[in-house]
Amino acid sequence: MTSRSLLVVTLCLLFLAIAMVLYVWQLRSRAQVEATLQKPQIVAPPATGTVRQVTLWVAHDDPGVLRVQAVSLGLSDERQRKTEAILRALLAIYTGKDSPHHLAPGADVRNVYFVDPGLVVVDVNAELADGQTSGILPEQLMVASLVQTLSSNSPGISRVKFLVNGKERETLAGHVDFSSEYEVSQMSDLARQLSSE
Amino acid sequence: MPWINITPKLLAATIFAIFAGFQAPSSNPDAPESSTPPAPKPLLIMIDPAHGGTDPGALLTASTPEKEITLNVARRLKQELNARGISSQLVRDGDLTLTPDQRAAMTNAADPALYIALHASSLGNGMRVFTALLPGSGDDKGPFLSWDRAQSATLPRSKALQAQLVSAVQKTRFPTQASSATVRPLNSLRSPAIAVEISPTTGDVAQVSANGYQQMVCAALANAIASLAPSLHPTGGARR
Repeated sequence: MTSRSLLVVTLCLLFLAIAMVLYVWQLRSRAQVEATLQKPQIVAPPATGTVRQVTLWVAHDDPGVLRVQAVSLGLSDERQRKTEAILRALLAIYTGKDSPHHLAPGADVRNVYFVDPGLVVVDVNAELADGQTSGILPEQLMVASLVQTLSSNSPGISRVKFLVNGKERETLAGHVDFSSEYEVSQMSDLARQLSSE
Repeated sequence: MPWINITPKLLAATIFAIFAGFQAPSSNPDAPESSTPPAPKPLLIMIDPAHGGTDPGALLTASTPEKEITLNVARRLKQELNARGISSQLVRDGDLTLTPDQRAAMTNAADPALYIALHASSLGNGMRVFTALLPGSGDDKGPFLSWDRAQSATLPRSKALQAQLVSAVQKTRFPTQASSATVRPLNSLRSPAIAVEISPTTGDVAQVSANGYQQMVCAALANAIASLAPSLHPTGGARR
């Protein structure tokens, strides 16, 4: 084979190699676009309905107090959805960065049921109870925070009952009773006491 | 048969004894009481180290469950009270599993002047003293209180003792606060009852398991209880 033929073959091979690299590059880019389209996207909760100001009673472990915080939320007009959204806004504070009362990520409200007259049943998930710091003070702050937030934003509630994954649980995290019905008036007195310290 | 041979004399004596037994306390309310008053009941403090056995309580550190700290503190508090001439009893003196109802039943049977449940926590500052937070309504039937509201008759007294105890400890400049909580078995106790949760003052949870810190807390608590002794004593007139 002459040197001229060798040069032609080498150039052809080089061209083929470059073409293959470009083709593979294109295939890879296309695969990435398809993977992105198939991946579930985390979306913000729908801000349906009107934007309203709600009152959250936020537990602060240090120095062991409840503090009132006003936030604006897009809320559904439907009572159940509205209450769930308000409780989720409260839990978002606890699971977020610089939380004043640490809760494990994933803590959530599964369902809220309004049972007349005046009884609301709140079903939370196990992450909320299992990720709660154990102790009388932190547990009582958490219960008072939930009950006060519910009663402040849903007039007519007189009693609150908690379930964990649809079942009764003896204590929240080993100390405070989580199986009895809480009376709003009883917790309001405690909340006033805890917020004035 | 001899055991059914009841003579008229024996029958009359029995009937008289029964009537005398019923009538004696109210037959003459103006009559002076017996000159020898009954011996005063000794002051008893019931100390309940919370958790135990299969219930470790809070895991304050990887190697220190709350149940161990509460038992250590309870034993120290008992010693401190004994040193001040106050008798006390532990609800558990070992790694035993007891339900809140069992603790309440033991305490109600002992009828102490004060029940103290001991807890420990990583959160808080110093000591927090809790009384029961009772539900507003229950299944009470007249004088018979439901199990979950047995404390209701004694709650004002529990709160008064809580205030005195907190005030006495605060005089030592140890950070102490009073509060209420829905913690069992406080609701089911007939006696004055409080729960004490001990937490670090430095933010370092290891402080709670330190011997020196536990000793200081127990001495402060024992001094405060000793200062309450006149109002705690069953003959002090204020009890129930």
